[in-house]
Formats: sequence, structure tokens, C-alpha cells
Amino acid sequence: MSIDFEFRKLVMDHHIGSDLIKYCYQCSRCADNCPVTRVSFDFYGTSGYNPRSNILNALLGYKDAIFDADPLVIWGCTVCDTCDEVCPQNIELTEIFTFLKNESVKKGNAPEYLIEQAKAICDSAKAIPSQPAIERRREQLGLPSIVAPNVEEVQTLFKNIGSDKYLD
Amino acid sequence: MFEGCTIGNRIPFIEAASRKVFEKVGIETSQAPFTCCPDPTGLKSFDNDVWLTMGALNLCIAEAEGKDIISLCNGCTNTLRGVRHQLAHDSLMKEKVNKELSKVGKEYKGTIDVKHFVDVLHDHLDKVKSAISKPLSGLKVAVHPGCHYMRPAEWMESDDPMRPKVLKELVAASGATIAEYEEEVLCCGSAVTNAYEEHGMANLKIKMDSIKRSGADVVVVNCPACFQQFDTKQRDLGKKYETEYDIPVLYITELYALAMGYSPDDIGLKFHRTRLKSILERLGL
Repeated sequence: MSIDFEFRKLVMDHHIGSDLIKYCYQCSRCADNCPVTRVSFDFYGTSGYNPRSNILNALLGYKDAIFDADPLVIWGCTVCDTCDEVCPQNIELTEIFTFLKNESVKKGNAPEYLIEQAKAICDSAKAIPSQPAIERRREQLGLPSIVAPNVEEVQTLFKNIGSDKYLD
Repeated sequence: MFEGCTIGNRIPFIEAASRKVFEKVGIETSQAPFTCCPDPTGLKSFDNDVWLTMGALNLCIAEAEGKDIISLCNGCTNTLRGVRHQLAHDSLMKEKVNKELSKVGKEYKGTIDVKHFVDVLHDHLDKVKSAISKPLSGLKVAVHPGCHYMRPAEWMESDDPMRPKVLKELVAASGATIAEYEEEVLCCGSAVTNAYEEHGMANLKIKMDSIKRSGADVVVVNCPACFQQFDTKQRDLGKKYETEYDIPVLYITELYALAMGYSPDDIGLKFHRTRLKSILERLGL
């Protein structure tokens, strides 16, 4: 396994406002409280989702162990933020996992639903575009119409930031 | 008011109940051309920079009117508060975001606040209590506040992140009884279900089994993603594990609307997937 120092630096930079990730002592409270670890991890640790290993591999720069493995290693996270709360070192694990997911998107390994949602947002400025049937239901319920967002502004942001190229 | 994509464009009956309750309690809201918040479990995982910039764009829209945002959804509140928090503590990122926003003629200043509607209702608890005309005595309620209502505590600044109590206090004000259950802070699993359905369903089973054991008549939520997870996935779950769950789901504002004298038809309860008939009959509604 090789160490990627550039990747390591990016991980350290991503941790908002501190270098706390350095002080992870692998106590495993994150994995012990992770709902996905609970339902996916087998006793001998050969498969399943494990936030503790992700932090270790990210911190050490073991890029291959994260990105060349089963996508579950990254995409098993359900973003419940429980690990952030139980970590005795106040490491913002979910922020690190967000960075890993963003990198995985750039490698073309994102799950389909995620790309579908990003496309919908780029096309209509909403994750769930408005539909005639729901508009009628809103009217029946006595609700005002939804004020249309500025789609062009959203498309400009996507394009300038450069993430429109990961939509296909 | 930030209704969000899911409530606004998929399950608007929740907005109908919420607007009725806000009116009774005296919470005035207005509409604005908000975009998707965007989703803290979706677009943030796609590209954190786009997430931050679009979130800041929505904050700019409210800033232009000089109004705070009240959100009907855990995810939207989490995004908008998270963006606000991050830009307040990371001046380099704020500069970067503002550079992008300037290309669409906007600038984020950080002058407004974002509140979850549960916290706003809790701040108006006296008015809520006096608006309740039909107390729901005898109804046993399991509460599920949902992850993003209170976590990460650092930027949500609302309830205790692992021992939440605000939603329970709101439910108690309706006259209903709280059914305590072991897995209260367990995630509904909505995000992981999208990518790995088998793990999502296994997680939902743990959650629903625990709720069932508590003897609850209904589960009360304050997030549209959790609502959909419990309301639409419950039948599949029952089939998969050959268990009859049959526990209806109510948004806290739907529970309040009933307790404030509205009929099930006024708030479109017929659009729920799980059947509410037996509890409505018991309550004489």
C-alpha cells in the first residue's frame, strides 16, 4: 500500500478550522455508534462500512484503500452525524467523509441517485422539480404556488465552479 | 418560509397543516424564490463547494428582504445553518463563495438567522397551548426528531444531540402521552437507503421494531425525509420481514392541526400511505 502525501494534505486541509484529525487514537466510538456499521459489518471485519478505518486511511494517506475498494467504503455513510457527536477528540468525521465522497464523484464512482439529484438541481434549481399534479394538489389544499427560483443563476454557479462536468 | 423541495413539490399536505398551525400561533411568514437548499445528504456529497455557494445564495435572498428564515425541514435547516456556520468561521471560504456569487450579482454578508420550525414553536409554547382546543388524550406517541434537527450540535444549536427533548415537550403540549423507546436517536436511514437498500431496510427494521415494542399508536416526526422513510417504506419493510407494523406517521404540525380543531380532510391526511383510520376513530375525528 502506498502513501499519497498530496491526498493526506487535502484531508488535513478539509477539516474545518483545526487539525484535530491528527489526534484520532482509533478508539472506535464512531464505528460502535454508526447505524450502517451496525447492519453491514461482519464480526471479523472483512466487509461492511467502517468510519474508523476511513479516518485511519485518510489520515495516513492510504488513498488506494479508500478509492480502489468496494464503493460501500465511502458511500455507506448515511450522514447522520452521530460519529461527530460521540468522538472524544471532536473530530468532524462527516466533513472528512464529504471530502472523500466529493473525490469519489470526480473519479466517476458516485451512486446513481446522487447524480440524478445533482442533475435535477442543475436543470430546475430544485431537487424535486414541480409537477402539474402536485401543483393541482397544492391548490386543492389552499396553498399558494411556489415562487419560481432563478434557474439560470444556479446553472451559472455549477458551470463556474466546474462541477457540471461530473453530471454525466 | 423555506418549505423545501420535498414538502413543497412532493408532500404539500404537510405545508398545509404547518401554515394552519402557524396562523393559530401567530407566526407570520412570506414566500421567496428559494432554490433547493441544497440537500446536505445529497448535493453536499456531490460537490461541497456548490453546496456552500447555493446555500449562501438562498441566504442572500432572505438577506435582501432583511428577514430570518423559518424552515419546515431538517435537511434544509441543517444546510442553511451549516453554510452560515462555515462561512462565519472560514473567511477564506467566504471570500471564495462571494467571488462565485458576485458573478450572479450577489454578496453574502451573514446578517440573518435560520430557525427550525420546531424551535420556533417551542419558543411560542404558551401560544401553542392556548390554541389547543381538542387535546389528544390517550394517544401514545413515539417521537423521532431526526438526525439533522440536532446534529451537528456545533451548528444546529438547538436540542441535545443525543438526548433530545424539545419534540417530546411539543407533543406533550397536545395532550398526548409519550411512548419512550430505546432507538429514539437512531437515524431513519433515508440517505443510505438510496445507495444500499438492504442496509437501509435493516436499519429501519431496528427502528420500527423498537417503536412497535413501545406500544406507540403513532410516530411523530419533523422532517420530510424521515416522514417518507417511515410512511412509504413501512409496507415494504413489513413484507420483507413478514411483520405487521401498521404504525401511522404524523408531522408534529399535523398532530397540532388535529388538536387545534382542524378535520383530517382540512389537512389532507388521506394522502398518507400508512392508515390513520383507527387512531382517528379513537380520537373521534
